[in-house]
Parts: sequence; structure tokens; C-alpha cells
Amino acid sequence: MIDVLPIPLPWYVVGPLMGLTVAGLYMITNNHLGVSGAYVQMVDHARGRPIEPWRLWFLGGTFAGAALVALLGGYPQAGLGYGALGEYLSLPALILTLFSGGMLIGVGSRWAGACTSGHGLTGCATRSPGSMVAVATFMVSAVAFTFLLHLLTGGAL
Amino acid sequence: MNRTNVICALFGIAFGFVFAAAGFNQYDVIHDMLLLQNFDPFLVMGSAVGTSTLILWLFERRRCQTLLGGRLELRRWAFERKHLTGGVVFGIGWAITGACPGTASTTLGGGSVMGIVLVMGIIAGIALRDLVVARQVVPMPEPMPEVSQP
Repeated sequence: MIDVLPIPLPWYVVGPLMGLTVAGLYMITNNHLGVSGAYVQMVDHARGRPIEPWRLWFLGGTFAGAALVALLGGYPQAGLGYGALGEYLSLPALILTLFSGGMLIGVGSRWAGACTSGHGLTGCATRSPGSMVAVATFMVSAVAFTFLLHLLTGGAL
Repeated sequence: MNRTNVICALFGIAFGFVFAAAGFNQYDVIHDMLLLQNFDPFLVMGSAVGTSTLILWLFERRRCQTLLGGRLELRRWAFERKHLTGGVVFGIGWAITGACPGTASTTLGGGSVMGIVLVMGIIAGIALRDLVVARQVVPMPEPMPEVSQP
């Protein structure tokens, strides 16, 4: 690990770059950038349904890109860490929480048709009405539930 | 292995890189955003959407061809109830884990063991939702007459 990349980079650097990846993928391949779709391909493949391979290639790329950032700038959650939640919960409780929380993310993104990237970034960029409603809904839901957790844990989270 | 897939992988690398560089694969960053104590992630999302909206709007208006995928066709979805119901469930999962699908793969990529747990949870959730939908669709009141099968 070499500390050459100060994480997080300023928003005015990463924000436009993130927007360029969304627009660039559309302009070159005509594909709508989204991450949850890649996991859907895995489930579809397991059921013998046809899949869109590009989504899995994209997902593999996100993995590599994050590994590159961890190499250049370090990653506080490397190993068994998980920030404040990791400090608050014991390891078995953390695993259980992340798995069940992950299931809610899976159910929700499959239900709504996309996630924070497919609706949040790309759907908003194509001015998709359903995406905008989904984004407003999960933002309100997430903020409200986070405040609830904050209260229930006595401010620990 | 075709050209489009390789390009998608490269875009994945770029996306994973900026995603992690924004700190989006860190629980504390997302949690502080959802507690409305750190507005930088909102500024990242806002400037990302602003940039891509402008570019895609310009290219769509000029009826541009994409390099490899024919005429640019921006996908849009009309509002449906599922955007509300799915959105609420998604938001709760997001609040609990500080993670979304993009976070899961980049958490794993950063070298976190917990990334595996998140990925498995998400896949299980998608499979569960598919199962529920399949159950809702299967029992039809009037079955169509069977067509003779080979």
C-alpha cells in the first residue's frame, strides 16, 4: 500500500468523473450503467435464464477499481473492519446484520428495478420518472431509518 | 470475449475507482451522509448526475450514434408502485448496512471480508424477490388450453 491518494478525493473531482463514466458507457456501448443488474444476472444464470454478460464484466471491473484505490490510498475497512458498525457489534452480530441488511438491499433493488446506481445515477441522468421516484423514496426511507437507528442505539450509530 | 465486454470491464474499473475514491465503500462515510452530518456524498451524486444529464441530453438531442451499440437509446421507466415499495425496502437495507450494490463489490475489492457477506446477502435477496414474484404469477385462475408438446 502506498499512500499517494488522499481518500476521499474532493467531491468536485470524483463527482464529474463519476458522471463521465455513466455518460461514457452510454455513448460507447449504449448500456445503462447499474450495479444491481449484475447480481440479477447471477441469479438468472443459476435458473438457466439468458443473461447479459456485459453486466458481469462491469461488476468485475468495479472490484478491480476499488482494489486499485485501496492499493494507492489504503482502505480503513480492509480485513474484518466495518467502521462504526464494526465497533458497535460483535463479529457474529455484524455478519448477521450485514447479511440480512444485504437481503433487504437485494429485495428492494430487484423490486424497484434498479439501485442507487441504475436509478440514482443513470436513471436520473436519463430523466427517467420512475427512477426519480425510486431515488426520492429510498433517500427518505434511508435517512428516516438511519435516524431511528441513531436513536435506538443511543447515538452510538 | 468481445470488444463491448472488455470496454464494459474498463468502465467498471473506472466506476469502481471513483466510487472508492469518493469513500462510498466506507460505512462511516455513507452513515454520516444518511445522518445528514456529511453532505459531500450528496455533492458527489449531484455533480455526477449533473454532468451525465447534460452530456446525455446533448447527445440524445443530436440523435447520436454510440460507438458500438447503434443509435443512442436512453432507458426510461414510467412511474409504478414498485418504485415506492422497492424503494422503501432498499432504503432500510441501505440504512442498516451503509451499503448498496455498488458498495458491496467495492467493499470486497478494497479487501474487506464483510464485502463477501454483503454480496451474498444481496444475491439471496434478489433470489428471494424472484421467488415471491414467481409465486404470485404462477397460479392462474383459468389455465390456457395446453398446446400439444413434442
